[in-house]
Amino acid sequence: MSMLLQCLVDSILLGGLYSLMAVGLSLGFGVTRIINFAYGEFIMLGAYGAFFCSSLAGIDPLIALPAVAIGVALFAAIVFEFSLRRVLRAPAINQILLLFGVGLVIQNLAAILWTGDARSVETPYSLTAREFGDINVPDGRIVTFLVATVLIAALLWWLHRTELGRAIRAVAQNRDAAVLMGINVMRMYLLSFMLNAALGAATGAMASFLLTVTPFMGFPMLIKSFAIVVLGGLGSIPGTLAGAFLLAFAETAVAYYVPDGIGWAEGVAFAVLLGVLIFRPRGILGQAVEVA
Amino acid sequence: MNANRESGSPTSLPIALLCYGAAAVAAVALPLAGSPLAVNLMLRAGSIVMLAISWNLAANAGLISLGHSTFWGLGSYAALLMGNRFGWPFLPSILPAMALGAAVAALLAVITGRLRGIYFAIATLALSEGLRVIAVMLPDLTGGGAGLFIDQTLRPEPRLTAIVTALGAVCFALLAHLLSRTPFHYACRAMRNNEHASQMLGINPLRFRITVLALSGAIAAFAGGVNIWYGGFLDPDIGFDLHITILAQIGPILGGIHTLAGPIIGGLATLLIAELTRMWFGEQGYSLLVYGAILIVSIMYMPNGIYGTLRRLCAPWTKRRAAAKTALVAS
Repeated sequence: MSMLLQCLVDSILLGGLYSLMAVGLSLGFGVTRIINFAYGEFIMLGAYGAFFCSSLAGIDPLIALPAVAIGVALFAAIVFEFSLRRVLRAPAINQILLLFGVGLVIQNLAAILWTGDARSVETPYSLTAREFGDINVPDGRIVTFLVATVLIAALLWWLHRTELGRAIRAVAQNRDAAVLMGINVMRMYLLSFMLNAALGAATGAMASFLLTVTPFMGFPMLIKSFAIVVLGGLGSIPGTLAGAFLLAFAETAVAYYVPDGIGWAEGVAFAVLLGVLIFRPRGILGQAVEVA
Repeated sequence: MNANRESGSPTSLPIALLCYGAAAVAAVALPLAGSPLAVNLMLRAGSIVMLAISWNLAANAGLISLGHSTFWGLGSYAALLMGNRFGWPFLPSILPAMALGAAVAALLAVITGRLRGIYFAIATLALSEGLRVIAVMLPDLTGGGAGLFIDQTLRPEPRLTAIVTALGAVCFALLAHLLSRTPFHYACRAMRNNEHASQMLGINPLRFRITVLALSGAIAAFAGGVNIWYGGFLDPDIGFDLHITILAQIGPILGGIHTLAGPIIGGLATLLIAELTRMWFGEQGYSLLVYGAILIVSIMYMPNGIYGTLRRLCAPWTKRRAAAKTALVAS
């Protein structure tokens, strides 16, 4: 019984981080209709940002988080202006391959500049844990869950209660109608791409003290984000949140209950991704997908 | 749309056959005469061109794969296991490798049903990464993360693997060329442009999807199967390497997607660029960096690839010649 409870607690805490990660990808897709294949690299840049702030200046990753997120968002703005903007009208596949190329460049540039060594950030809370009865909860995971919750709440508030947020949602709902309402769609695209990068970087900054930081950490995170977003339904934020907790639960359960589970847990995201695409491509809460 | 241009003019077949013949002779002669370096280059050139042709075939039908390492990896594992478990030598082991690649590709075509565009692309990516995890987790079959060596007593001379790879590339290029002259090609193109409309015309998309993907999978598995006999060692990260997926897509995109010559030109150009970067920078990391840059530059500035750009540059000249001919007839 306590194993089940432990498993549930672990998956809820992990689900918080996954939610933040996947909301970034989902938001970017919802607005621009482009799947950001370089998203994992923004997560990686966020993790390195936090790592360097911590190792060079001794700044805690959570304090560095806003600055890191803004820095990566500015970088994303440059990427958007110089590459993505030119292919917005091209077939979806060109956009995907372009972003795939951008991701490759960022990833390998990072590997050359910062070497492929695995690094990690140590914080006062990353090695401690607290006990609730039989249940062991690492402090680092509580911190990430709380921060992720606050960030997502702030994002939802911003999307629903501010002029810009509403404009972004308008573009996501109906691009042409948004143009007629006088919304500068190109600016919303840029803004959503930057937001997407900022959320990725925030995820990365928090992942920096939970996972090891390497130039290649982005790709598995990208796949997990895909799995969550596809599971929840592309472009649906409530669906994405549900998908994040489902994936977190599935991974944790596999790790706990299946023999050799830690290794198999790596494959859960792929299985979920394939399974959902095959059996229910619209996801659990998503709109119908354009299959043709 | 001058879409019918993409397969080349119909009169070019004898000339094309001559080119394929010459390429086949070179494929046999160069490794036979050359140094180990030439053998290595021929092997890589053949592999990269096969991957490019395989990827482009699927892309012709509107199926953009982001997981070609699936078929490469399956081909490698099938060839290796046929050798190690059943003592099959090099050449026969390639057949089950191709069969496995084709079977999994056909299965993928069936289960992805009518998924198109990005959804199909993501499904292929998930499949290849999923297979990598499975390969790590089944050490009894695949040797797990530690990998497996192929039975050294069965290994052919490197020269032979290079000849088979290069000849294979020529054969598959010829096959793609011959296919481009059949209704199959037009059916695929119709599917790419509009699957609903193609259905109205009496094309059964699923049948073509299965055929084209099976063919594509078999070609990539062939390349993977031959490469494992050359390399001798396989682990999940080598078999289901993202690098292979990138190599497969970069040739057609650089050379000219949906064309016959494009994947070949692009594949060879990619190899040349990879060699030059290795000479200048010496490190592996740079080649992926350069591939990324090639992808970005091709898509932004050369959406029709090298071949398309050359065609456009030559167009005024061909047009003038045609105009001169008409003028001559008229006078």
